[in-house]
Amino acid sequence: MARIPLNRSQTTAVVKRLPINRMVANTVGRSSASVSRIARALLTEPTVPAGVHKEAKVSKVGANYDTDWARTYPARFARLIIRTTIMKPIVDALASPSLEGVDRLIDLDGPVIFAANHRSHADTPLMMTAVPEPWRDRLFIGAAADYWFTNRVLSPFSALVIGAIPVERKKVSRTAIDTSLELLADGWSMLIFPEGARSPDGWAREFTSGAAFLSIKAGVPVVPVYLLGTDEVWSKGNRLPRRAQATVVFGSPIMPTADDDNRSFALRIQNAVALLADEHSSDWWQARRRAAEGVTPSLQGPPADSWRRAWARSGPERRGGRRSWPAV
Amino acid sequence: MKALRFERSIGRFAAANIASRLAPGGGAKVGPLRLRDIDAPALPGEGWVEVLPRLAGICGSDLATIDARSSRYFEPIVSFPFVPGHEVVADLPAPIGHLAAGRVVIEPVLGCVTRGIDPVCDACARGDLGNCERIAFGSIEPGLQSGFCCDTGGGWSTRMVAHSSQLHAVPEDWTDEAAVMVEPTACAVHGVLAADVAEGDLVVVLGSGALGLLTIAALRRFGRPCTIMAVAKHPTQHQLALALGADSVVLPHELTRAVRRATNSLALGDGDIIRLTGGADHVIDCVGSEASLTEALSVVRPRGRVTMVGMPGQVHVDLTGLWQREITLAGAYAYGTETLPSGERRRTFDLAFELVAAAELGRLVTATYPLSQYEAAITHAATAGARGAVRIAFDLRNEKERDRA
Amino acid sequence: MPRPGFVLDVDRSTPPILFHHGEGFRLERLPAGRSRVIYPAEPIEPLKNPDAAIRHALVNPIGDSEPLTALLKPGMKLTIAFDDISLPLPPMKRPDIRQRVIEAVLELAAAAGVDDVMLIAALALHRRMTEAELRHAVGDRVYDAFAPHGLLLNHDAEDPDNLLFIGTTEKGEEVEINKRAAESDLIIYVNINLVSMDGGWKSTATGLASYRSLRHHHNVRTMQHSRSFMDRHASELHSANWRMGKVLKDSGVKVFQIETTMNNNVFGTEGPMSVLQKREWEWSLTDRISMAGMKTALDLMPQRTRRQIFQNWQAPHAMTSVQAGEVEAVHELTTANVYKQHLVPVEGQTDIMTMGLPYISPYNVNSILNPILVACLGLGYFFNLYRGKPPVREGGVLIMSHPTPWEFHPVHHPSYIDFFEQVLSETTDPIRIEAEFEKSFAEDEWYRHLYRTSHAYHGVHPFYMWYWCSHALQHLGQVIIVGGDVRAVRRLGFKPASTLQDALEMASDVVGRDATITHIHNPPILMADVH
Ligand SMILES: [Zn+2]
Ligand SMILES: [Zn+2]
Repeated sequence: MARIPLNRSQTTAVVKRLPINRMVANTVGRSSASVSRIARALLTEPTVPAGVHKEAKVSKVGANYDTDWARTYPARFARLIIRTTIMKPIVDALASPSLEGVDRLIDLDGPVIFAANHRSHADTPLMMTAVPEPWRDRLFIGAAADYWFTNRVLSPFSALVIGAIPVERKKVSRTAIDTSLELLADGWSMLIFPEGARSPDGWAREFTSGAAFLSIKAGVPVVPVYLLGTDEVWSKGNRLPRRAQATVVFGSPIMPTADDDNRSFALRIQNAVALLADEHSSDWWQARRRAAEGVTPSLQGPPADSWRRAWARSGPERRGGRRSWPAV
Repeated sequence: MKALRFERSIGRFAAANIASRLAPGGGAKVGPLRLRDIDAPALPGEGWVEVLPRLAGICGSDLATIDARSSRYFEPIVSFPFVPGHEVVADLPAPIGHLAAGRVVIEPVLGCVTRGIDPVCDACARGDLGNCERIAFGSIEPGLQSGFCCDTGGGWSTRMVAHSSQLHAVPEDWTDEAAVMVEPTACAVHGVLAADVAEGDLVVVLGSGALGLLTIAALRRFGRPCTIMAVAKHPTQHQLALALGADSVVLPHELTRAVRRATNSLALGDGDIIRLTGGADHVIDCVGSEASLTEALSVVRPRGRVTMVGMPGQVHVDLTGLWQREITLAGAYAYGTETLPSGERRRTFDLAFELVAAAELGRLVTATYPLSQYEAAITHAATAGARGAVRIAFDLRNEKERDRA
Repeated sequence: MPRPGFVLDVDRSTPPILFHHGEGFRLERLPAGRSRVIYPAEPIEPLKNPDAAIRHALVNPIGDSEPLTALLKPGMKLTIAFDDISLPLPPMKRPDIRQRVIEAVLELAAAAGVDDVMLIAALALHRRMTEAELRHAVGDRVYDAFAPHGLLLNHDAEDPDNLLFIGTTEKGEEVEINKRAAESDLIIYVNINLVSMDGGWKSTATGLASYRSLRHHHNVRTMQHSRSFMDRHASELHSANWRMGKVLKDSGVKVFQIETTMNNNVFGTEGPMSVLQKREWEWSLTDRISMAGMKTALDLMPQRTRRQIFQNWQAPHAMTSVQAGEVEAVHELTTANVYKQHLVPVEGQTDIMTMGLPYISPYNVNSILNPILVACLGLGYFFNLYRGKPPVREGGVLIMSHPTPWEFHPVHHPSYIDFFEQVLSETTDPIRIEAEFEKSFAEDEWYRHLYRTSHAYHGVHPFYMWYWCSHALQHLGQVIIVGGDVRAVRRLGFKPASTLQDALEMASDVVGRDATITHIHNPPILMADVH
């Protein structure tokens, strides 16, 4: 049977339509109509009288999922074990990551926010293993609530394995902010992908101001991080990762100045990551000379139709090799 | 008569060869050299006379023979059994020819005259006794020198015979020690003059045993003014080399670097020298081993000359460098007549007498042994350098039978 | 609060004192009642934020200098020179101070639109640095940006095409330095001031100079008149360099000097090595166990392994100050900052000075401490770490502890081998050595070739090591090495002793039975301020 690529909502729809479910429903209906009616009455939620105000029910998953337990010692220990015995070997085998600029973190003391560009699901495990000590052991991640915290199985998984806290993409959620600030104040460091979602074509999206906002609020420095090659490892749309070389470039930590607002600081972070990208593709000095002249190549790529963006991104040395067209 | 005698015995040769690998001079105990009571040699003919050795040196070539390391090359030019000892000062009991009774030094080469061959060969005619072409012919058995011939006997006994042409009178005031150094000195003088060192040359003398030290002394006295770099392993050798005229003395492992610096040569190798690009003008090898020849070839400059004064044997040496650098490799054996830098022709032995006196070479005789202690004597000689010694000799002056008629 | 250095009077309850002994240690009991031990200060507080301090120093220069931001202009020719592998000791953990400073400088240069930038390792007659060593010093980012384009170079004091004669001092000393540097609009010198000798005009006038220029102050006379060369105001070596600095300045060579100091935290505050910078009576059980374990393990190891272990040690020492601007003003402040860490007041001189020589000197990083370097480390460096007068009286005895193996690194020290074999075997008198041998070594083609193309110290360098010893050789009545290779020690002209007791016994022949003893507990480095 040919496999049909499906996204999550399509999958749910398909499962509902599967014959087996209908069969079960029919069987139940036929055996005893009265029992089924009573059962249905008990099982369905009661309707609410018009004159009564009912407290809105709080979901225990999604953005509201409470991840405090994931930072208890047993959970941290479990995460350490998972990271070192499962995640690290897999990351090493698949991405054979090379780390650059770790020396820039040497003077850092206390919690930081790692802000990286986002291209692939491989980014998270890569960062979790690449972030140096002592931050690695006390790292949490803001993860999309509508993706990583959708149900009671996935939520604890996300919280435990990747140390995630749920963050809503669309709106600013108080809970996520409060949790993040609390954790930062507590000495935990945060990994955040300010683009909000994985890039569809390898070029970055505009950085949102989440990282900037938290940094300003918590008074914690931001370490810009440039990730390269993770989309080769696990490109958006591919079911399975492949072997490829990934690179993690850490930048010098930046602190918001008195003049910075969320927007301007977010831009500085984005520029810092762009500088790292330039530094990696040319060299440190050329990148700085271009930055000084204001001609650092943009992380977002040329403002044009998608084929030209893809063409520019693949670079002459990659053309003829593996294609890197956006997945359709 | 008591004598140390070499006998032909395949088994003993083999044993000596093995024993010498365990300890230098080890061949003395198990080898073909035995202390025997034998008849004194008969006079082989006209002009021959019996002499009574006083001191007889132990030379490197003797040690090689005792340890059965010498080449089979010698087989047809020696005759067994023979009594070794070619560095001999002896008593001449009665006058012969123009020579009065008294002490004499033997010039051991057995050339045409001693063999009763007339006319003499071309080499003998020129006075180049060492090159005589008749050393296996004539009235006596083959033998390149007294001490390698069954008819003449040798210095390691109380009596031997010598031809009157072989005898050189020893001045009254000389010690026996000085006199016994004349023969090896003659070898050194010949080697030095054969090398024909040019003025200002750098000459490396490999080996600071007796031969090496004598070579240094000979270079200083008879060679043109040159720089002498001696190689010495042991402190006594080092001091003697300097005393006898070396400009510098280096340890064996220091030689390559010292030559490089002295000649301002470049070198291949990153700090550790693989090969010199230049080198010394002359190397005089007074050791004659595979290692010394290799060393000599590695420190001599292109178109330089290596003179082998020490007796080599069968050696395994890479001659590519000799070919590519056009090195001259030459031997220098024994003595005869020399042409001095001034053009003057002199008997090598006369020059040797002069040098022994001038450089007080008698001091190089470090120890003497009676024949009965020959094993100790041989061991001492084989390890002389390390034990601060130079020349070891047998002392026959106190042997009882010596006075027996 | 780190405690200052101090002088301990040895009594009966004083525990055995630590002596460094090459790639190992000795614990020695010093005679009670007549011995004292000079201890270095504990590591002083490092800068909290070194990068910020560097940026601050660059825009707030000292002395007659504009801020670096004002000196950097588009289109200018800029040369950044930096100290070589000889500093700091031992090599520091990444990132190296030079990397921090150079990156900060280049950030400003990039912002100012400077295109023509060249980086030069100011190694004078030292060996060329390897790629790995350069990467360690300037960091991978700077290395990758400049080295592939030939813009990061080792200075070559024998390259006739790239040296420029500047002029002569009023005392006739010729000044000749790296041409690229001399012709630049600005030289920025990035220094690490490990000891008070480093820095100042010595950076440019020595680090970037040619042999022709260096020989005017690297000689016996200068060294004998430098008392000590660690005290800039009593050092003829420095006076000569300052005169040369004036010639440079007058000729229009413009130097922006950046000097940094570091604390003496060489063995760390935790881990097995930390015991080495604690005072013996404060050794905890863990310290004693790790010392015993280290000694036992080291004794069992082959020399190669031991050397590898020690040479791989990267010290956690940290930057304590950074100052930038005009050379002389900067250096005054730097020296004061070095003294803060190193100076220990000492009352009066002693008859016998003892010291334990460690495994490293400025000239054997990633290499072998050969006998000549042993002599230089003891008689050159440690002996001269004083201000005022030497801690040992004239005619006194110096006892040093080091295995002193007869061993040389053939690639790094080819001329040292020949110096040891051919010069010291003749004489150990520095004046004779200088007169009879220096020229032939200095002009030797092969040494020159190895210096320029491989990683060899210049042919003349072993002479300088010996000249470095000349003040001590003149001052001392006897030098004894404890636990050294007997032949090598004798070749150096020193007396070998197998134990400290033997050495003290031998010393008593020179200075008498009741001689006073002073042990210099170095490293970590200290400088005796003797009154
Ligand atoms: Zn002989
Ligand atoms: Zn003949």
